[in-house]
Amino acid sequence: MNNSSFPDHPNRRRWLQTFGAGLGSFALADLINRPTADAAATSSLSSSAVRHIPRARRIIWLFQSGGPSQLDLFDHKPLLKQRHGTQLPAEVRKGQRLTAMSGNQSSLPLAGSPFRFEPHGDSGNVMSELLPRTAQIADELCIVRSMQTEAINHGPGVTFMQTGSQFPGRPSMGAWLDYGLGSENEELPSFVVMVTKGKGGQPLLSRLWGSGFLPSRHQGVRFRSGGDPVLYLGNPGGISAGSKRSMLNALQQLHEIKLQTSADPLIETRIAQHELAFRMQQSIPEATDVSSEPDHIFELYGEQARNPGSYAANCLLARRLAERGVRFIQLYHPGWDQHSGLRKGVTRQCTETDQASAALVADLKQRGLLDDTLVVWGGEFGRTNYCQGKLTATSFGRDHHPRSYSVWMAGGGVRPGTTYGVTDPWGYNVAEQGVHIHDLHATILHLMGIDHERLTFRYQGRRFRLTDVHGNVINGLLA
Amino acid sequence: MAGANKYISSGRRTSVKAGLCQIIVLMLAVTQALPAGTAGQIRFNRDVRPVLSDRCYVCHGPDVENRQADLRLDLEQDAKQSVIVAGKPDESELVRRILSNDPDVRMPPPGSKLELSPEEQAMLTAWIEQGATWDQHWAFVAPRQPMLPSVLTARWPRNEIDYFVLSNLEERSSTPSSEASRETLIRRISFDLTGLPPSLEQIDNFVTNESPDAWSEQIDRLLSSGHFGERMASVWLDLARYSDTFGYQVDRDRYVWPWRDWVIRAFNSNMPHHEFLRKQIAGDLLPDATDEDILATTFNRLHPQKVEGGSTPEEFRIEYVSDRTQTFATAFLGLTMECCRCHDHKYDPFSQKDYYQLTAFFDKIDEAGLYSYRTQSTPTPTLLMLDEADKRRIRRLRDSVKAAEKKLAETAAAADAEFRRWLAVDRSVEDSTMLPNRVLHMDFEAVPGGGNRHTDGKVGMGIRFSGDDAVGTQIGQFSRNQPFSIALWLNTPDHKERAVVWHHSLGWTDGGSRGYQLLIKDGRLHASLIHFWPGNAISIATADPLPVQEWHHVTVRYDGSSRAAGISILIDAQPVSTEIIRDNLYKEITADKRHLVIGERSRDRGFTNGMADELMVFERQLTPIEVAQLTDGHSLATALTTPHDQLSARQTERLFEYFLSTTHNGSRQQLAALTEARSELSAAVDGVQEIMVMKETDRPVTTHLLRRGAYDARGDVVTADTPAILPKRSADAPANRLGLADWLISPNHPLTARVAVNHYWQVMFGQGLVRTPEDFGSQGRPPTHPRLLDWLALDFIQHDWDVKRLLKQIAMSATYRQTSTMSEDHARRDPNNDWLGRFPSYRLPAEMLRDNALAVSGLLVDRMGGPPAKPYEVEVSFKPADRDSGPGLYRRSVYTYWKRTGPAPVMMVLDAVKRDVCRVNRERTASPLEAFVLMNGPQFVEASRVLAEQLLAEHHTPQQALPDLFRLLTSRPATDREHSVLTGLLAEQLDYFGQDAERTKKYLSVGDHTADTEPDPASLAALSAVANALLSYDECLIKR
Repeated sequence: MNNSSFPDHPNRRRWLQTFGAGLGSFALADLINRPTADAAATSSLSSSAVRHIPRARRIIWLFQSGGPSQLDLFDHKPLLKQRHGTQLPAEVRKGQRLTAMSGNQSSLPLAGSPFRFEPHGDSGNVMSELLPRTAQIADELCIVRSMQTEAINHGPGVTFMQTGSQFPGRPSMGAWLDYGLGSENEELPSFVVMVTKGKGGQPLLSRLWGSGFLPSRHQGVRFRSGGDPVLYLGNPGGISAGSKRSMLNALQQLHEIKLQTSADPLIETRIAQHELAFRMQQSIPEATDVSSEPDHIFELYGEQARNPGSYAANCLLARRLAERGVRFIQLYHPGWDQHSGLRKGVTRQCTETDQASAALVADLKQRGLLDDTLVVWGGEFGRTNYCQGKLTATSFGRDHHPRSYSVWMAGGGVRPGTTYGVTDPWGYNVAEQGVHIHDLHATILHLMGIDHERLTFRYQGRRFRLTDVHGNVINGLLA
Repeated sequence: MAGANKYISSGRRTSVKAGLCQIIVLMLAVTQALPAGTAGQIRFNRDVRPVLSDRCYVCHGPDVENRQADLRLDLEQDAKQSVIVAGKPDESELVRRILSNDPDVRMPPPGSKLELSPEEQAMLTAWIEQGATWDQHWAFVAPRQPMLPSVLTARWPRNEIDYFVLSNLEERSSTPSSEASRETLIRRISFDLTGLPPSLEQIDNFVTNESPDAWSEQIDRLLSSGHFGERMASVWLDLARYSDTFGYQVDRDRYVWPWRDWVIRAFNSNMPHHEFLRKQIAGDLLPDATDEDILATTFNRLHPQKVEGGSTPEEFRIEYVSDRTQTFATAFLGLTMECCRCHDHKYDPFSQKDYYQLTAFFDKIDEAGLYSYRTQSTPTPTLLMLDEADKRRIRRLRDSVKAAEKKLAETAAAADAEFRRWLAVDRSVEDSTMLPNRVLHMDFEAVPGGGNRHTDGKVGMGIRFSGDDAVGTQIGQFSRNQPFSIALWLNTPDHKERAVVWHHSLGWTDGGSRGYQLLIKDGRLHASLIHFWPGNAISIATADPLPVQEWHHVTVRYDGSSRAAGISILIDAQPVSTEIIRDNLYKEITADKRHLVIGERSRDRGFTNGMADELMVFERQLTPIEVAQLTDGHSLATALTTPHDQLSARQTERLFEYFLSTTHNGSRQQLAALTEARSELSAAVDGVQEIMVMKETDRPVTTHLLRRGAYDARGDVVTADTPAILPKRSADAPANRLGLADWLISPNHPLTARVAVNHYWQVMFGQGLVRTPEDFGSQGRPPTHPRLLDWLALDFIQHDWDVKRLLKQIAMSATYRQTSTMSEDHARRDPNNDWLGRFPSYRLPAEMLRDNALAVSGLLVDRMGGPPAKPYEVEVSFKPADRDSGPGLYRRSVYTYWKRTGPAPVMMVLDAVKRDVCRVNRERTASPLEAFVLMNGPQFVEASRVLAEQLLAEHHTPQQALPDLFRLLTSRPATDREHSVLTGLLAEQLDYFGQDAERTKKYLSVGDHTADTEPDPASLAALSAVANALLSYDECLIKR
């Protein structure tokens, strides 16, 4: 019986090299060779999912949570203005379900947008006066006016947009990408989430950046504003980097001693894990420290960018993380849920986001990063063409609308200066070129060089995909 | 097999021979890779089925809808009649197809994005060559008692388990590992059975105990510890998707922890596993079910629940039923039934109908799709959490109510003489239009505001409702003990599917409908008093629809009894035939700060274009003659002014009722006493906490197959039944959850006991014999030791599903006692430890890492059960909550407050699952974030310091404390080399802290704990740092 295996130290690494390949399910590979780890660990299908040369290497997703009103931002419908106050015709609604908030209203009066729309740039991309800065980057944008979802409420809606399913339990898109592509910078998490602080609105949930059934290392890491960007990143009070180093050195010595009597990849993993953590204690604060940014950058993003946790500050951080190779940067800006008081509410939301969103695109461009960074702006669904509650001269609101809504994308291989998809003159149904959420996901994976039908993970006996059994790459969105 | 022939004739047969030549070499390789002693024999269940299932069954499997070419490869007969010729690969269409390079012929087709590796092609070919022997899927055939295999190394086995493990190793010319050291063993078994490390004393006792029973005694000691139940429960909570909050988006707190404590008690009392399952599935249906039995059924209510405004309740009710069904299948059967929610299973022989028949066991409860946003009502059905004293008190109060009811009836019966006297002598002619106790009269003569319109009424002008504009009042906050009557003239313009006539409530689904209401549903009048709809309410409905476009006088009367029989509806003063819709009101109905509202309700359908007039409200149950007076304007007046000797019998009878209700002091006083008694009873019940449980409704619930799984795509009606492929339920078993539970635990069930022993094996070894505990189907991995699994399963059943016995049996085995050190042979040939030739080592689960730190430092608060604890980490969760101070910071992690939308962040970093859905396995990762948590998290920093503090109190210097420190954290003494590393670290840290009192003070102030002693600060800080570093040491956090 052989119970003390390889006492001689020099052979240990060779042993690991020899047998390490067969240890796919161990976490060792996760840390030492992460970019390809999953391909080895799970199945050849994951690696073969990367089929072609990617157009985008990373994604910044500016999630506008609550359901921004496409009819007041991107999808101009003069007919609604003409028919303002008249009833939504039954032949337009076609019996589709409404939410239980307005579904029982006796009256569904149409509501025209009070905002002015104009074409911008050479492309003539149309948007409303609420987005003056976004208008300046109109020629970079690929506006999709024919997005469709199935969810009529926030929880299922956001979950659908982020995981491809309305119900809990699936991995989010960033987790899928980390699983499929791995990291480009070992010293930063490859999936980072930032939520605008201090916003009310519909609550978000950590499941939105969860890894579902994928290994939990693929879950998004939420950067907090103020204090430690990552949970307990900073040393406890009184412990300096040097003191920590001495603790880690001792720990490493103990592990080396242990390795000499039992060559176990778990121990190697442990050593690598602590080294990586130690490096991240430098790299994360460095990445999140904006004090070195020049004034003109703050002018570009807006003064709010100096306020940690604001949307503008998160946009600036997103750029810094993109520069450092973070794969998936997910921002959430809540507050787009204008059931009532829309005029004021949507104006406030735009004031908070317009400049920084546009600045981010412009900043990426001026650094040459826009070509391989895909920026996505949008929410979980749109809003109704009719008023929820009372339509008065001074105030109105719109309910949730899954049938058609707008998002925009920029960079990363999408066709710039385009508007894709058409809704009917009522702004209710998609008339042409519908883009279902599954299609959007398939297209985004395609831009990342991934065949969405091959990026699979076997769980409970089934090969799961981000796009479930659906999704088509929309060629009209590609550059 | 016309279809199969068509399939064969569709392609060309050219390249078979050529392909076969290429494959010969691989065939050799494949058969050589098989275990020695199996003579290159390919086994269907182990080798073939997984490949056929994974690559072929999507199109050639159980799913009828998607089956191609009418070919099934999941059935032997079908396959062999068409594409497989046993023994003759070159005549088998299957071989031709899988080897073809022609994209039109090749299988799997390129478009499927599935492929067979050359080894798999070779294996399938070799299998056909060897005769294509078939076998049923192992998991669907009941285990048969296997013979104990013979072994060469006869002295190694300690019990039956070892024969199976050793014979398998020997077949592969491999050997087991030696026994682990005593220190390793006591550490291993302590964590496995209690989730806590051994104390130094326990280690010493075991290490020095030379008795042959020493190990057995240790196991018994740990199994009898209360911590055993906590450890087992922490695993069960993942499976039960336990959470202290409702989940989804709003994610409010809910009261379910008594169920968690039930689980802990069940484990500690060694409840037999089949009883444990039976009670959780059907405790409420057991004969003479106790409150404990009913509490067990909270299991099936632990799924996430929704409250988000605007949601469709039915969508979520269906989601809950599906969750229960899927949890049942995953947790107890190891089946992936959710695949059949939308279509027949792609891999396993389960149809969509099987799925919905199974759901029919779980939807027979009176539940709502949404919980209540505006009230704190517990979603029904519920159990009132009463202790014995409460129960006695409530019994007494119920008796008082009954006595008062009886006395009221007696008082009325004895009032005849007084009535006669009143009729003959005392009857004064009052203003009979002014009925007593009226608190509201709206005549609608004034022009209404808002969108409602003025219209010709029944009397003068009336109101026509817009449906979106409420008419408010200033009255109507009735309790359920208050008799009341609401009367009005009503004219409905059309046959209303749903319309709110009047109500007092905080909203429909948003408020659980709490309050009282009159609705028109499908044309019929529904009058209800509600605490939480539908399970805590009384409700009646008229048998016939209210005629449309006519004025009718509608009076709803209620007697204060909390019984459906206490509500009555009179139309045009005539009692009408009604049906009882619900009769189970046991809590308050009052919607605070709201009044009676007419014609509209937020997010509900108003009484659009309906008309009303002369609305009156009385704080008394009107008598029929009064209602007649309201309707015809004269009945009561006439009767009151008619000389007593000229009254008709009917008039006299009705005046008697009127007399009792309005005039007779004895009756009125007795009614007041009854109301008082009822108020006392409801006050006693209203404050009692409720918990969600399962309770069969007595109303019929129809279950449908749902096409594509969509809640609104109802297909055929189905009745409760178990999947066709599995054993039948016994004919006399009830078609309810109890019948389902008894079917599940029947000894001939092929899955239940296997799933159970696999679960407990996983508790001990970190991974099951079936490595995919969530899938025992054809896509799952076959057991590493099929005969051992079967032997354990049968032995478990034969020994009354005795959990502690099973765990001890596992722990006593030589297999369990092996060292975890990996030999070169194992590393090369069995890196995943499928042969169990060593003990599998892995990082301790989240709960144990934290509990370990608390335990060794002495901080652990050793209290069992109770409300969730909120340690430091909850305040830095994504959904921060206020943390506890004091004991709540130091409870075992099984009690940590679980919030679904922002679970305890330290536990999440350490691979806990979110508990949104049933999970029977945790992933294990080693992210750098784990290092931050262990080295910087306040819980661990504080525990390190308190540990150091304890040691310094015992030892004079920090140097002297090092040996105990190392031993506390690893359960073994440090070697000299290790000791010198620790000494070096301590010296560096002493130097570091010695230089600066300020940094020392800072480091020593992490956490709430204050020291009882006053050690030298620099020594304390330095030793704390050493302790903290050791918390991340392999032997502290890896189970070895």
